[in-house]
Amino acid sequence: MIENIIQIKNINKTYNKAKSKKTFKAVDNVSFDVESGTCFGFLGPNGAGKSTTMKMLYSRINRDSKPKGKMKVLGYDPGKYPLKVKYHTGVVPQEDNLDEEISVYQNLKIYAKFYGMNDKDSRKRIDDLLGFMELTEKAKASTKELSGGMKRRLVIARALLHEPKLLILDEPTTGLDPQVRHTIWKKLRELKSNGMTILLTTHYMDEAYQICDSIIIMDKGKKVIEGCPKKLLSESLENYVMELIKGNKEDIEKIGYDEKIVRTDDLHDPPHYYSNDFNALKKISDNLNGGEFYLRQTNLEDLFMKLTGRRLNEFQ
Amino acid sequence: MSFSNSISKKKYNINQFILSWVKSLASIDIDTDEPPGIVKRLYSVWFRHFRVYTKNIFANGFPPFIEPLIFLVGIGLGLGSYIANVDNTPYLQYLAMGLPLSSAMFSAAFECSYGTFYRMEYSKTYEGMLTSPLTITDLFIGEIIWCGTKGAFYSTAVISVFIVCGTLPLTPSLILVPFVGTLVGLMFGGLSLVFVTFVKSMNSLNFYMSGVLMPLFMFSGIMFPVTNLPKSIQWIVEVFPLVHAVRLQLAICKSEFTYSLFIDLAYCVAFIIFFTWLATRKLKAKLMK
Repeated sequence: MIENIIQIKNINKTYNKAKSKKTFKAVDNVSFDVESGTCFGFLGPNGAGKSTTMKMLYSRINRDSKPKGKMKVLGYDPGKYPLKVKYHTGVVPQEDNLDEEISVYQNLKIYAKFYGMNDKDSRKRIDDLLGFMELTEKAKASTKELSGGMKRRLVIARALLHEPKLLILDEPTTGLDPQVRHTIWKKLRELKSNGMTILLTTHYMDEAYQICDSIIIMDKGKKVIEGCPKKLLSESLENYVMELIKGNKEDIEKIGYDEKIVRTDDLHDPPHYYSNDFNALKKISDNLNGGEFYLRQTNLEDLFMKLTGRRLNEFQ
Repeated sequence: MSFSNSISKKKYNINQFILSWVKSLASIDIDTDEPPGIVKRLYSVWFRHFRVYTKNIFANGFPPFIEPLIFLVGIGLGLGSYIANVDNTPYLQYLAMGLPLSSAMFSAAFECSYGTFYRMEYSKTYEGMLTSPLTITDLFIGEIIWCGTKGAFYSTAVISVFIVCGTLPLTPSLILVPFVGTLVGLMFGGLSLVFVTFVKSMNSLNFYMSGVLMPLFMFSGIMFPVTNLPKSIQWIVEVFPLVHAVRLQLAICKSEFTYSLFIDLAYCVAFIIFFTWLATRKLKAKLMK
């Protein structure tokens, strides 16, 4: 299929605040397309509208009807054909909403029924998925006994039961330890190599850099930038950054640097210095004591800050 | 899968026809890439509740058997000696006829008030379920049907204890008790769901328990015949949903059937349809926000 698996054009979502009678625009005129077989990332701080956009995609909530915009997921409008969209989509919600009273196997069994699978098919599929997510030993365990990482893996397995064409994950690795995060990334890459389209939200910039082919950065309901993460970095930001840990601008001005190749901004305190020339930053840092600075490659977080003009963590 | 196939067979078989119809609704053996049909979807929701309930079958299945025993001891040994016959029936026997229904009412009401609120606000069960091909309407109609099942189970369990203990004579018409239990389960499933849409915290559900269910338990003809109430307020009682179910139940237990029971049955059915409709409508508005 050459057609993009998700096509979204000018969609909005407005919430009415009951008490103040004010409206709040959670998603503001957002458009994007997702190619089949790719991994697409949604970045942005809490409250940026990431989850709301996801929920509109899998028909959990309806978008504003005026202006309606255009929305196609797997060829169907989620507002009109919720069942068809949901039938071909696997969703990993933000919270692990497993049935804690029953076993790991039964949790999957119940969802297999929701997807209309017969007993024979579902048994085989559940065994396969427990193997894939490395949970086979836990099949009979009570869901209560699972660790946070295991629960997350189980929720992902649950979303894969019906062999969906599209997998939507809302902050799949939030609150997990680094090992589990890497395991989940590995699994997602495996799924992608098997042709699955993956859509995920995250506020970990490294997560997007690791697994996404293209990303959108959202802020306050609006799309800020879209593109391939590596390309975005190289096009929109210098390659290196020197973060001062101690000191201020005056100290660096005393040392002196070429303003044509080294840039600074007012977003940080102590300040940051950006450059494509590693040596230019190195030269400044040679005049500083160790521990007063941190010289590194720039990342998506720096990009986010440059684009939105504020720290990512402000609203988190 | 089409109806014409089964009709065109030489021997027209009604069972086969119904089966094929149900199967086509549930799309059991249609091997297309279509989401499950409505019957299959409702069944899957019912199955979820059934699985979770039967997981702790001892803790969950025990109360309906123990409650009537408490009444037997309390009324039989204590309170009962102060009360004369009610409608020419020993008081304990009178209670034994109505109590299966209050049991069905409380179990259904609890499931669809505290249970639903917990699944909605705390365990986020519905958030997960709604990612699968189920609509909000499926979710709650399935839940109301589950309440009907619970109503049948509770009423049957309670009446069985009374029969075994010899409080109630075993008559053929008692086979209809699970049916009335189902009606009560469906009625209070829908009614409770409507209440859930109004509350913002679990504590507010206490008003429903003591403000709605307790009066219904007291004034619906379970504890005493409604005809004992002052004439001037009897018409109020007629509005109460449980009164009509109790009337059906008493008729079944006494094997005394009259045509006026159809009015009670019609009331129950209308109540179920109206509150199921209202509940799904209100919950849709609440959850789709």
